[in-house]
Amino acid sequence: MSTYGYTGRILRVDLSSGKIAIDDTLKYKDFIGGEGIAMKIMWDEVPAGTHPFDPQNKLIFGSGPLCGTGVPCSGRTNITSLLPSNPFYGVTSSHMGGYFSVAMKYAGWDMIVIEGKAPSPVWLRIEDDKVKIEDARWMWGKGIFDTQAMVASFMGKDAQVAAIGPAGENMVNLSVIRTGTSHSAGGHGGIMGSKNLKAIGVRGTGAVKIAVDSKEWLELNRFMMSIIGANNQHVVPSSPQPWAEYTDPTSRWTARKGLFWGAANPPVETGECDPHDMQSVGLRTMKATFDLGAGAEKYTVRMGGCAHCPIRCHSQLKVPQLERYGMDPYVSNTCMGWSSPRGVMFKGIKEFDGHGEDSSIVGTAIGTTLADDLGVWCNYGQIGRDLNYCYTNGVFKRVLPAEEYSSIRWDLLEKGDANFFFDFYNRVAYKKGEFSHIADGSYWIAQRWNLGDEYWNNKDMKLWSRLGYPVHHSNEAGGQVGALISCFSNRDAQNHSHMNFIGAKLPVKILKEIAGEIWGSPAALDAPNNYTPMNEYKARFVKWSLVRTMLHNSLTLCNWMWPMATSPLKERNYRGDTSLEAKFYSLATGINISERELDEAAARCFTLMRAITVRQMQSFDLRKDHDQTTEWVIHREKDKSGNELPQFTPGTIAMEKEDMELGRTLVYREFGWDEKTGAPTRACLEKYGMPDVAEELGRRGLLPT
Amino acid sequence: MEEMNAQQTASPGADIVRLVREDSAAARLTRLSVLKEQFPEMDVEGIIAESGVPDLKKMRGKRDTYFFSDQSMTEAYAAHLFRIEEKDLLKLIAETVRDESQTYPRPTDARVFLGAPFNVAEHDLADTLERLAASPEYNDIRTCTASNGALYLYSSKYLGEAYAESLAEWMEVGQKENP
Repeated sequence: MSTYGYTGRILRVDLSSGKIAIDDTLKYKDFIGGEGIAMKIMWDEVPAGTHPFDPQNKLIFGSGPLCGTGVPCSGRTNITSLLPSNPFYGVTSSHMGGYFSVAMKYAGWDMIVIEGKAPSPVWLRIEDDKVKIEDARWMWGKGIFDTQAMVASFMGKDAQVAAIGPAGENMVNLSVIRTGTSHSAGGHGGIMGSKNLKAIGVRGTGAVKIAVDSKEWLELNRFMMSIIGANNQHVVPSSPQPWAEYTDPTSRWTARKGLFWGAANPPVETGECDPHDMQSVGLRTMKATFDLGAGAEKYTVRMGGCAHCPIRCHSQLKVPQLERYGMDPYVSNTCMGWSSPRGVMFKGIKEFDGHGEDSSIVGTAIGTTLADDLGVWCNYGQIGRDLNYCYTNGVFKRVLPAEEYSSIRWDLLEKGDANFFFDFYNRVAYKKGEFSHIADGSYWIAQRWNLGDEYWNNKDMKLWSRLGYPVHHSNEAGGQVGALISCFSNRDAQNHSHMNFIGAKLPVKILKEIAGEIWGSPAALDAPNNYTPMNEYKARFVKWSLVRTMLHNSLTLCNWMWPMATSPLKERNYRGDTSLEAKFYSLATGINISERELDEAAARCFTLMRAITVRQMQSFDLRKDHDQTTEWVIHREKDKSGNELPQFTPGTIAMEKEDMELGRTLVYREFGWDEKTGAPTRACLEKYGMPDVAEELGRRGLLPT
Repeated sequence: MEEMNAQQTASPGADIVRLVREDSAAARLTRLSVLKEQFPEMDVEGIIAESGVPDLKKMRGKRDTYFFSDQSMTEAYAAHLFRIEEKDLLKLIAETVRDESQTYPRPTDARVFLGAPFNVAEHDLADTLERLAASPEYNDIRTCTASNGALYLYSSKYLGEAYAESLAEWMEVGQKENP
């Protein structure tokens, strides 16, 4: 069988025995790649009841058949394992951008499965077929930047490195695996630490073969490039442009005349960026000023990003003031990477150390450098809110020894002095004192510090689920659509399939038309903050979003850009093309597959993740035990005058309890799961070709009757 | 198309079409008064009307009549420029706000008017907003403030108060907290 698209090989490294083995990718091809195959391996090989830090747990780095082929926005690495911050250690995936997965493919590996635990710190050296477990005792304790440099000193600067910092080494629940200067996969850093694995370096000199001739491939690529927008597939500019019919000041298509990469030499003007001009696609998203404010323009060297991605969404800055703190002046990040440190400084970053009006940017750059070097994860911004809650409500005073409490530099936090970051991230990454448990994750601190209902049900805390994760494009994103999507995760939903569509920035009338074409009725989409009761079309939208995100994490494509449901082109009535994934898959692999068939394959993978969750929770009543939200989600909101806003009136994003239950039922129905419990049924599992899964769940009494 | 252009360059009508298209490509409207100065002996409006060139569009204002080519400028952008050219700040702001409240729908960030293509001076904006609030003609134009203090405008013809407030809060604060 051909291995077009795929390399056909999975690298298995058992750190306990030092054994290195090769497995066949194609025996897993029903699970597509990346996250899908990883779920199959987790189901087959990680026993129920395994702790994330047990050697029996596996850590799976996955690419997919489209990674390394040059499909736009295909540079993601999917990482799947058990999640220590989850109360039942639910199976989850985290993701990195950068160049790591492409290097894996070029080296000849679709996946890397890490098993066991090394007796002492090691790093993994992969140079094409040559795979070696190397001594990392000298690297242990180093930050991620130094670790990457050390690996590069052995392998060359073109090697791609994924590494952990002290937070991962110390098995901090909220820790990351990072590649490149700013691509972090949140939540699984501690798994690497538990295996004594400091880093993986990959150098690949091969290529990914595709089945089709180059002309057809390039034509599809060109079409894709014609309908691509800016970051998050925002398809209208943020300010009026002569070519644009629509604008939205919150769009990430921020390019305009007079806005520069100001620290480039010479400065580069982002300009008008007409959507028909392919050469300016990379200029559309000027994220530095979007994330950090207008003051970031003069610090911006350029916008960076991932392999094979024309959308450059990572701001690469030169902040000379960082040298004063012994830090590299070059700093890069995007989105939560910038806003998370600002969340930690919840009283704001004010003028400090004489940085004047640039204090906020300098302070944020210090925070992001520390978090990225020490390898601390923010649980999608939740760590800052947890810090705020515990400080403001006297929790720390209650639970920390007095000496420890008084040693924390609260004075810096109060003053808005970003030197607080040194104290904060240091305590967290090195697990210093009781305070460091703030990085156990929300579920565990609620247990440990007895935070109670007030904590969980506080709207400002944004906690979505008692499983300990926050909103991530939830009820504010399409009402029940985002709300229900957020109910099926074992961590924050990380789903952009719905958000890229809802947030495309087109007028709602156009979006509703497109929604009607994709999900059967314009009623699938409501205007923002003006929601109507649940219906079957919203349930289709939910299923489609869950499935597409699983698909992207399996192919591997960037779900922060895909799917392409809309476009910036007036001549296409702003329509995109939702069949592109299937078209690219068919051309790359030579396996002809329709859009519907590929979605079904991804639905199989999602259902398997659901089955793993059933097995882990030892409950098939997922409606009751897994899919519920915290109370604030369904509490009536008030307007500014204090008047209650009933659900389904303009101006409120509150959900309604019975309506959400109906929503769950309709989504279960769409997947073919049991409508009462939300668990996969025997018939459903057999339909998806997984009788073995049905068999095991049945044996364990975990199939709904 | 190229052949037609070659023919057009041989006639005054073609020169007018070319000028309008050049202006539009440079993100400018073409004023009738300016064309009349350049082609004093000609019925410019009549020539354009009879030219049969489908991309040329006309907008009649109180101060002048304007042309643009929709080959390189959308009607939406031309509408902005038209309101700017007409130098009626009240109308410029009110009609822009009404458009956005109706079309998207969303309230309008007041800072939008400080940037291109509007480039309203800060003190002029503050003054205009005060005059808007006192003008019966524009009594549907209301303001609301997000929790970070940012000022938004909306038309009560299309958005209710609570709805406009919630959207402003989402645009200003919520989206930044949910990147």
